[in-house]
Amino acid sequence: MGRHNASLLALGLAVLAVAVGACRRASEETGAPAGRTRLVFKYQPLWGAPEPFRELLARFERENPGVELVTEALPNSSDLAHQFFLTSLEGGAEDFDVLVADVVWVPEFARAGWIADLSEYFPPERLREDFFPGPVEAVVVEGRTYAVPWYLDVGVLYYRKDLVPRAPRTYEELQRYAREAMAKAPGVQGYVWQGRQYEGLSCNVYEALWGHGGEALGEGGRVLLDSKPAREALEYLRGLVRSGVSPETVTGFSEEEARRVFQEGRAVFMRNWPYAWSEAQKPDSPIRGKVGIAPLPTVSGEPGWGTLGGWQLAVNAHVSPERRRLAAKLIAHLTSPEANLVLALNYARNPPRPSVYEDPRLRAADPFIANLKEMVERSRPRPVTPYYNLIADVLQSEFSAAVAGLRTPEEALKRAQKQVDHLTGVGE
Amino acid sequence: MSGGGSLERERRQAYLLVAPAVVVLAGVALYPILAAVWLSLHRFILVFGERRFTGLDNYAFLLSDARFWSALGNTAYFTLVAVTVELLLAVPLALLLNRAFPGRGLLRASVLVPWAIPTVVSARLWAWMFNPEYGLINRMLPGSDINWLGAPGYALHAAILVDVWKTTPFVALLVLAGLQGIGEDLYKAARVDGASNWRMFRSITLPLLKPALLLALLFRSLDAFRVFDAIYVLTEGGPANTTETLSIYAYKTLMRSGDFGYGSALSVATFLCVVVLAAVWLRLLGREEGAR
Repeated sequence: MGRHNASLLALGLAVLAVAVGACRRASEETGAPAGRTRLVFKYQPLWGAPEPFRELLARFERENPGVELVTEALPNSSDLAHQFFLTSLEGGAEDFDVLVADVVWVPEFARAGWIADLSEYFPPERLREDFFPGPVEAVVVEGRTYAVPWYLDVGVLYYRKDLVPRAPRTYEELQRYAREAMAKAPGVQGYVWQGRQYEGLSCNVYEALWGHGGEALGEGGRVLLDSKPAREALEYLRGLVRSGVSPETVTGFSEEEARRVFQEGRAVFMRNWPYAWSEAQKPDSPIRGKVGIAPLPTVSGEPGWGTLGGWQLAVNAHVSPERRRLAAKLIAHLTSPEANLVLALNYARNPPRPSVYEDPRLRAADPFIANLKEMVERSRPRPVTPYYNLIADVLQSEFSAAVAGLRTPEEALKRAQKQVDHLTGVGE
Repeated sequence: MSGGGSLERERRQAYLLVAPAVVVLAGVALYPILAAVWLSLHRFILVFGERRFTGLDNYAFLLSDARFWSALGNTAYFTLVAVTVELLLAVPLALLLNRAFPGRGLLRASVLVPWAIPTVVSARLWAWMFNPEYGLINRMLPGSDINWLGAPGYALHAAILVDVWKTTPFVALLVLAGLQGIGEDLYKAARVDGASNWRMFRSITLPLLKPALLLALLFRSLDAFRVFDAIYVLTEGGPANTTETLSIYAYKTLMRSGDFGYGSALSVATFLCVVVLAAVWLRLLGREEGAR
């Protein structure tokens, strides 16, 4: 018994000693040596081997000897990351310098005065020359630059090359092809997309709205919902479910549910983000080599507009001018064509600069991304308004009501318009 | 006279003794509630740095807010159905667990497993089982696939099922505790008088179980009225807000939209509903105690 206690005591002391040592080491590390500036970068994990990205960051440190770069991870869910910034930036947090922002956050954060005006480092005209128009529209607020596009995402149409003659260009064609293929191959569903009540549904609805010739914003920046193209868009989506081209279950689908059905070879068409491609091409995938990708269809037959997703880099407005200058420098480093290429080749993140798509290194190593240019070019942001996060909920629930057949599109849009006008203060 | 003085002293001492508890309660319960009430009288949107006093404007909007009424309806329906089903299942379960049989201790412990699993984990689990394409539930049921979480009408019931699965054991345990407080002699006497099992259940078990049942109802209905995690994981309030409860609406308004004024008004409304509910149960419970 006595010996037992003694050895326990020894073990306890050993643990304590290690812990104290670790603490001391940690405290030595956090205090940056005098004369060096500590720059904190908050971003979401990129998934994949960390080395290429670390090397990209290390290069910045080598080129700027006075700077110590620290990265801090954000929650992977966009909602949670937004919550984090909402509370910390409102509280005047100064403990991070550069942050990633979702496309729909930039106008909101800019209006709140939480992110710095970067126009002197990145004039809007230069952004317009160097980047695709969609992401530029999302980061330039009232003629000033508040963020720089980092990588982007766009809604695209996947189709089964073995079941349909070619990618459909119009909505009518999509439904016809789907029906023909379903008749030929029983057990296969027509068109899967994202119909669950969440942000993905809003992306799908906006794509249909643009495809019907609509605009997200009306006069004076009013979020326009009660319009003819919006009605037609919701009628089209509801019609897909009612006519059986899309399964009933699509009203509960987010990206992964749709991808699984498509991946198992049980759907002819799918609307999704480019990430689904690499899964479809895995060696054990039943649809490997049978999948094509194309712009979404439209009413008129011209290539459709996909919803713009993706992340931008911005600077915390609460930090000192000196750190702000360094932060802008870091952003320039991380959004350079070379950095775009690193992210594309190692993490499959789509570059926001048209020029990178022409780079022979990308064309050789990842022809899939290189071929996305046609679709990325036509990406469009959801309504660019500081109120977006305030109204997103209303959009989701009313769109969901229309798609699930609980309300007619007309009724749902009228209700949505009324609530959105109330929230954005139109007519008050 | 001197007796009155000592009573006075005793009373003062009693106040002193409860004072620390009152201070703590005021700090952690009363202050946040009052702060929420104060916030609810403002138009306060975080992002726009907009904060001005608007009096009862938020409450006026709340009364005409269709989404609020639908959330209240969903919450009330969820609470009513879930708690009723839980109680109906828990009583027979408790009677069973109260019997002496080999392995009873083990069974009692294992019954609690659903309740011990964190709700978010079990809700995720159920979300997979409800999946219309490859979920277990549709595989087991004959007939065409049901779109459990995507069809209005089904989704709220799916959430109720998860809640019943999770909390029936807890209710059963409360009822079991009540059962164990009933003396064996009463049953013996009844058996001597030739009472049937049903008669014993109705005339002895049920009346004596009433306080335990009321307590279970109190706990469960207050809990169910504030339901958030299970439904949030299953549907996030969809489709078309048909599963949106008051807590989810308040959370979305507060944390997603950053509309602290109206979000607080929603929280206060939820709080008031729960207070009324609690007052009713506590009154019934008090009457029960008084009757003894």
